Amino acid sequence: MPETMVQARGLVKTYRRKDGSTVEAVRNIDLDIYKGEIFSLLGPNGAGKSTTISMISGLIEPTAGDAQIARYSITKQPMEAKKLLGIVPQDIALYPTLSARQNLDFFGRMYGLGGAELHKRIDEVLDFIDLKERQKDRIDTFSGGMKRRVNIGVGLLHRPQLVYMDEPTVGIDPQNRRRILDTVFRLRDEQKMTVLYTTHLMEESQELSDRVGIIDHGKIIALGTVGELVQKVGEEDRLILKVGQQKIAAEVLERLKQVEQVTSALYDPPQQAAEGADEATDGVITVFAKRGRRALPDVIQIANDASIDVLSVEVREPDLEAVFLHLTGRALRD
Amino acid sequence: MQKLLNITLNDLRVIFRDRGIWINLVLVPAALVFIIGLANGGFVTETTPRLRVDVIDYDGSALATQFLADLRAANDTLVLCPLDNDAEDFCRLRAGASERTLDEDLARQRLINRDALALLIIPQGFEANMQAGTPASIIYRSDEEANAPSLIQQAVQAVVQRTGGALVAERVGLDVADSLEILQFSDTADRDDFGQQIFTRAQALWAENLVTVNFTLNDAIERQLSPRQQGFGQSTAGMGSMYVMFTVFGALVVLIDERKQWTLQRLVMMPVARWQLLGGKMLSRFIMGMIQYAVAFAVGAFMGVNFGRDPLAIVALMVSFTLCITALAFLLATFMRSSEQASSVSLLFILTLAPLGGAWWPLDIVPEWMRTLGHISPIAWVMDGFRALLYFNGDLSTVVTPLLVLLGAGAVFFALAVRRFRYE
Repeated sequence: MPETMVQARGLVKTYRRKDGSTVEAVRNIDLDIYKGEIFSLLGPNGAGKSTTISMISGLIEPTAGDAQIARYSITKQPMEAKKLLGIVPQDIALYPTLSARQNLDFFGRMYGLGGAELHKRIDEVLDFIDLKERQKDRIDTFSGGMKRRVNIGVGLLHRPQLVYMDEPTVGIDPQNRRRILDTVFRLRDEQKMTVLYTTHLMEESQELSDRVGIIDHGKIIALGTVGELVQKVGEEDRLILKVGQQKIAAEVLERLKQVEQVTSALYDPPQQAAEGADEATDGVITVFAKRGRRALPDVIQIANDASIDVLSVEVREPDLEAVFLHLTGRALRD
Repeated sequence: MQKLLNITLNDLRVIFRDRGIWINLVLVPAALVFIIGLANGGFVTETTPRLRVDVIDYDGSALATQFLADLRAANDTLVLCPLDNDAEDFCRLRAGASERTLDEDLARQRLINRDALALLIIPQGFEANMQAGTPASIIYRSDEEANAPSLIQQAVQAVVQRTGGALVAERVGLDVADSLEILQFSDTADRDDFGQQIFTRAQALWAENLVTVNFTLNDAIERQLSPRQQGFGQSTAGMGSMYVMFTVFGALVVLIDERKQWTLQRLVMMPVARWQLLGGKMLSRFIMGMIQYAVAFAVGAFMGVNFGRDPLAIVALMVSFTLCITALAFLLATFMRSSEQASSVSLLFILTLAPLGGAWWPLDIVPEWMRTLGHISPIAWVMDGFRALLYFNGDLSTVVTPLLVLLGAGAVFFALAVRRFRYE
């Protein structure tokens, strides 16, 4: 049995609306994160990822339940628990008018570091995030990717046992995104840290995670390794047919379900362009099949028979997107 | 404690990184101390004032002349125009090379223009009527308030009383003499001479002021309350206190911004206690407030303000006011949801509490109810204290009440701020 780094039990967060009604942002979450693993919490925007992490990190108080970091309760022993925790928020939580080094210096002191130890540790972190040459420049002169790296560096200063990273690749270019994902691996492999990573990007979660928790509407609906989760939905391929703005009749879906190898078929209708949005989205038929390529000719034939103009066809191997779709009936992007 | 100080130092570093801070911290307050000091009479020269009074003497009699001489003697600040006009045309009667004749129309216009502060008309037959015992009127015209007679009106009334009294004495003396058979005048001239002697003697006795009220200023005021002290003392303390509010209330926007940029939340997720975080933030604003006071008082010192005999009491007032305002700012911050809201509320509070509390003008000049209402503003209490120290030469013992009120209010604001403060 691996050693537990984070143990959350019965976490609940309820907010009161202005009209007096309540909304449950997090509903009774139980969670174990093991030492030395990269655990990602995957879910669409508004699913409750950040609220869960905010409770685990002591930013907000749970309405009910508790979480322990290395056996320190975040509600009863917050100081001890927080000393073990390194934070990398989604926002660039830095002082923009101070230099990278001044930011690292200040936050390092907040972690209780000082003197030569702090100086040495700042140098190490600047090396790690590859920003030593820009250390004296103000943060507001940095690119988005460089700011993200300093943001990560602050969370690593005190050599935490657990690093919490909240969607650290939001809004940055692919090159910097790759660099950050490599950094996450290095934290686990070189620094022996446990990483709790939240994202709404299935690809990131799939690439990084030793284990994944899928969260939706404030509840963890699936938890395990990527392989375990994929197995849960029967290791099915997905045939994704884009059908433009056409409406698809229910009989078509029924005919698709009768094709050999096909287990189910879903239809995601087109959406009109919202005000301010770029364009309307196409309707999508998703067909789950044990062997997708074998079922493909029959699926296309049914579409032709129903006079459906198929704009594109894609065959996807089993992935977390499929797991989410299978469990919730919605695409993760929704 | 180390973390609290680190938070304070970091905040100060961030504040002073913004070069614009010097405009708000030094330039604008210094300019306002100077301008408001001037408006409150800071550079009035300390010479005896001279007040223009226009005189139209239709009688031209000896009694009228005597009356005007007595008026000059009653108040030597009065300049009777055109009689006392000088080579520099103090009476402002010259038009080009010639001097205008003062008639009633011109005199009325001069009152409107404030070229003269009052007009005195001595009517034809003034002396004859007085000596005959029939009523005689002197016309006095000005636009001053009837219930607040000016120095001029008081002087005129005093001379009218004295002249009238002397004439009464003369008439009574003559009547008594006429009724005594043993006292016979050789002729009319002898009788007139006797009457004149009584009149002169009565005036002389009146002039001796057998019963007087001696108006003297309090020692401290007499020694220190120069126009400069009054003007710049007011503006240094008032503008200083108002700008302390501006500086400290900046925390409202800063806290919202820190929430937006997530540095506040990051600090909360670090091993930093709530008291360290709040204390550090408050200490930085408190220090900024004290720097602001130091700037304003340095400008005041440069303008020649005398800060009294107890510097410790001045510092105690500054500290207690800044503490009170800092706690109030952090309490208000707990209600703010956006930077725009925070800016508007700051302005509303400062621009209401400052004039209400006497930062722009002394509360002495406002009605009693306004003075009472003004004391809902912390500025009114600190200004009470500064006035006691700067104007009345007080010491720490004379400012105990303002100190207790400010510290008490500060403690209440602080308790409520801590109770309400949320990081979310």
